[in-house]
Amino acid sequence: MGKINKITLKEAAGLIKDGDMLSFSGFTIWRRPMALIYELVRQGKKDLHLFEVNGGTHTEILAGAGCVKIWESCWVGHELYGKLGESVARGQVEGSILVEDYSHAQCVARLLAGAYGLPFFPTALSMGTDILNPKFDMLGKAGLRDGSNPKIPLKKYDTIPDPMYDMGNILLMPAANPDWALVYAQQVGDEGTVRVLAQTYVDLEVIKAAKKVIVIAEEIVPDSYLRDEPALNIAPGYAIDYVIEQPFGAHPTGSQFFYDVDADFIRAFYQASKSADGYKKFADEWIFGVDGFDEYLEKLGVNRLLKLKANSVMGYSTTMKRGTR
Amino acid sequence: MTAKNYAENYKGADLLAVAAAREVQDGDIVFAGTGLPMLAIALAQITNAPNAVCIYEAGSIDGRPKDLPASVGDARCATQSSVAAGLTEAFYGQLHSGYVDLAFLGGAEIDKYGNVNTTVVGDYAAPKKRFTGSGGNPDINSFARRTVFIMVQEKRRFKENVDYITSPGWRIPEWPSGELKSKKEVYGKFFNGGLSAVITNMAVFRFDEDGIMYLDTVHPGFTPEQVKENCEFDLNISRCRGVTERPTVEEIELLYKVVDKDGIFLP
Repeated sequence: MGKINKITLKEAAGLIKDGDMLSFSGFTIWRRPMALIYELVRQGKKDLHLFEVNGGTHTEILAGAGCVKIWESCWVGHELYGKLGESVARGQVEGSILVEDYSHAQCVARLLAGAYGLPFFPTALSMGTDILNPKFDMLGKAGLRDGSNPKIPLKKYDTIPDPMYDMGNILLMPAANPDWALVYAQQVGDEGTVRVLAQTYVDLEVIKAAKKVIVIAEEIVPDSYLRDEPALNIAPGYAIDYVIEQPFGAHPTGSQFFYDVDADFIRAFYQASKSADGYKKFADEWIFGVDGFDEYLEKLGVNRLLKLKANSVMGYSTTMKRGTR
Repeated sequence: MTAKNYAENYKGADLLAVAAAREVQDGDIVFAGTGLPMLAIALAQITNAPNAVCIYEAGSIDGRPKDLPASVGDARCATQSSVAAGLTEAFYGQLHSGYVDLAFLGGAEIDKYGNVNTTVVGDYAAPKKRFTGSGGNPDINSFARRTVFIMVQEKRRFKENVDYITSPGWRIPEWPSGELKSKKEVYGKFFNGGLSAVITNMAVFRFDEDGIMYLDTVHPGFTPEQVKENCEFDLNISRCRGVTERPTVEEIELLYKVVDKDGIFLP
């Protein structure tokens, strides 16, 4: 019988050190480990190195608070609810955040290599783009590819002629092996088996690639329930180091079959994030103005959360107003 | 065949969605991005291409949404999908393996070779402004057999050279040397195809034998000269076939009452 190591949000954030390399579950504004993101800001983390296949609201919460030193990814924004990642953009333009761009599938290649214990993973996607322009190897230009940081590869990528079937040139993408995977999952078993509902995004790869894994569970359920249908699970309990049980732990991002994206909240945050001042006001109210996630939920109020509640058959809210009609 | 009942009143975005939907061939495997591309594939599936299927990069394969998704990672994408997997399946299992016929994408800036920028304004090393970044745009565009870009027509967006090549057009740098070559040369035996059309609020563009953009049709109410004035590069308008087919009354009704019944992308 396995068992889980249950901790609190405060304890989980306390495990993460300044300068650590993090990656996340989810996709843009879905299934992000938000409750833990807020706590990282509250604890004043610095110099974090984010590697993520795409960014979203969580990235912007961290970047706006000055927690991020390096961001390796391909995209950041809030989808329909905020077209840019303002804090990352500000950090890149001002030079306070080192941005290393890859394509989406190249990020996936890096994570696949990391997940499967390979030094690199080949891909022919997105050749002929400025992503590969050696002038734009920003970590290299910053002198960080000298091997002194084991999390930063010696090269941004390499190109080799296919030695097997003479297909032409192909790219090699270096493995990404973050210190931590911060994951939100709908269900975690009492022995740690992990299940996400609907699309799996890169959650299983992030879990495998990271040295240590913290999962925020919407609910902890008997492992036997998850083991009745093992094909629906994405990770065994022994791959998970810590579990936090936190209902609504992904708010304001969405969680299929539990709650929808809180579009109004993200829109308001996006507007605020357009200036450092605006971000500070947001953070003073929603991050530093509450003593933890329970108080944050209290402040949101039951009516707001009920409006987001997913239809248990469809997996998303069928009652909230989404557009103009 | 009965004469088509063309709509008198429609918005620019409606025509964009309808013109894009008409690019879908029945049976196409379509890989679409967020926004108007979602409207286009959903409209095509209930009009000219009932057997077309849609892949979204977050991992939903051949979904049949009951409600229009607001983004490609939306829970709504996965409704009735044949497989709900993740990015590895979408990008490698479907795209890299060669299944994808048509890519539907957006972009901020484009040049005459169809190179698209969605990353920065100015020099990347010291940018003036950052956009969202590449997302899956260059991946999908690089391996689909045909790509259709849906964009806003403005002189500052139709540039001689884009500031940063996020997504590959027909003439692209081969790294690490940076020598400009045709897409076919750069992709070697991985070459599947490339850009087939750019659709804006003013016109439809296609690409000639040398991979250079030309005006194919101009939307009702615009002239070829007006379109040319809204390009920074010297647009070839000599091959213009005439006016873009207008949306029909039925297509507009389907867009507003079925595809985007909640008014998410079409307010």
